[in-house]
Amino acid sequence: MHFLTLTQVNFHYPKLSRMALENINLEIEQKSITAIIGPNGSGKTTLGKVMIGILQATGGKVLLQGEPVSEMSLAQIGRRIGYVFQNPDLQLFCATVAEEIGFGLVNQGWEPARVKEKVDFCLEFFQLAEYRHVFPLLLSQGEKQRVAIASVLVAENEFVILDEPTIGLDAYRKKILAGYLRKIASIGRGMVLISHDMGFVEHLADRVIQLEKGRIVGDSERKGRNGYDT
Amino acid sequence: MTLDPRTKMVIVICLSTLALIYNSAGELLPLLLVTLLLLLLFRIDISSVWVYLKRFLQLMLVVFIIQCIFTRGGEVLLSLGSTALVSSQGLLAGASLVLRIIVIISAALIFTTFSSRDFILGLVQWKIPYELAFMVTIAMRFLPLFRDEFVNVVTAIQLRGVELKQVSWGRKIDLFRSLLFPVVFGALLKAQQLAVAMESRGFRAYPRRTYLRRLDFIWIDYAVMLIFITITLMLIISY
Repeated sequence: MHFLTLTQVNFHYPKLSRMALENINLEIEQKSITAIIGPNGSGKTTLGKVMIGILQATGGKVLLQGEPVSEMSLAQIGRRIGYVFQNPDLQLFCATVAEEIGFGLVNQGWEPARVKEKVDFCLEFFQLAEYRHVFPLLLSQGEKQRVAIASVLVAENEFVILDEPTIGLDAYRKKILAGYLRKIASIGRGMVLISHDMGFVEHLADRVIQLEKGRIVGDSERKGRNGYDT
Repeated sequence: MTLDPRTKMVIVICLSTLALIYNSAGELLPLLLVTLLLLLLFRIDISSVWVYLKRFLQLMLVVFIIQCIFTRGGEVLLSLGSTALVSSQGLLAGASLVLRIIVIISAALIFTTFSSRDFILGLVQWKIPYELAFMVTIAMRFLPLFRDEFVNVVTAIQLRGVELKQVSWGRKIDLFRSLLFPVVFGALLKAQQLAVAMESRGFRAYPRRTYLRRLDFIWIDYAVMLIFITITLMLIISY
């Protein structure tokens, strides 16, 4: 069974005349890194939000391991799929960086000692230790992005959707992030990368899906080390 | 009906004032009918009232219940042992308060018939300082953003695996209380950034502003304002 299955999915925003997504048919495996690329306004973020149930498809079906996403609560989906928003400001709400990273774990009933251990690891790994007690919205864009990514990856969900994860990151931190994502992919946690950053995508993705005006116009699998096969 | 934005502001002020002064459902119900009639005259889709009211349903329900329980007097309609829970006076007070909210929200829809630019222009021509008029429109524009911010936070919380519907009320209140600070602080931060962005684009660079357009009253504006102000004053005096 595929991890995510989208069948004839359509989506349109109430105040826009054109469809944001049109006839999307897609099967995504759990143990792979799938990238979604495309120009601005092509529907990449909308597709990510439809996959995770933040937006409900106006037509067609979205199944998460055979179960309709529309019949699941956001919390049920969130326990299985982590989601990093395109804009970190939308997902940061705690009073300190440490609290932000540990929020999901605390609320899912993790042992306090284990929460502390995981939070400490993430603070160190994402080079946020000095900001442990800082209000997240006061950080720079790149730092906020790192907090947002850390607060999602810390939960060890079986799958992650990252919407433009490299925005605001410098080359060094991009490399660190790529290494971490490759590491978690190697232990069977799949992901969807929504990105403009072709260098990052080519470095990581096993499969690249190209969107244009809400339609899939390309779907290629990695062939060897250097290219993709359509 | 093409009226000057300032005339429409006067109409909204009159209707809202009466809604605040009136206390009984018998007075508020005709006021609501007049308001709805005016919306029709301004070619506002009546169904849009429901769209706006839907957002306040929970608030109205809470207000209604509180009024029902805490307003005493009249016939006891529901009791728990010897303790009266709902009285006829309480029920009427609850209904009146809900009607008052409906009238104010419906009247405010008249603002949607002109642009925020005209709103500022209208206030400035009434000698209200431009900065103050601009602040009012920004505040009006910020309110939906504030709501969106809260919706985003709630979505983000749920996506971290928290089943809000299953969380106990105590925990839920605790959760929302702890969220209040970051949401309010975030809004203040945005306001500060907005101020910097505005000033960097020359806001208040010159002490005197000029305007391309001018709003001009015509006879119908004077007539409508006179009628509304006179009727409102008469109703207030005779109340």
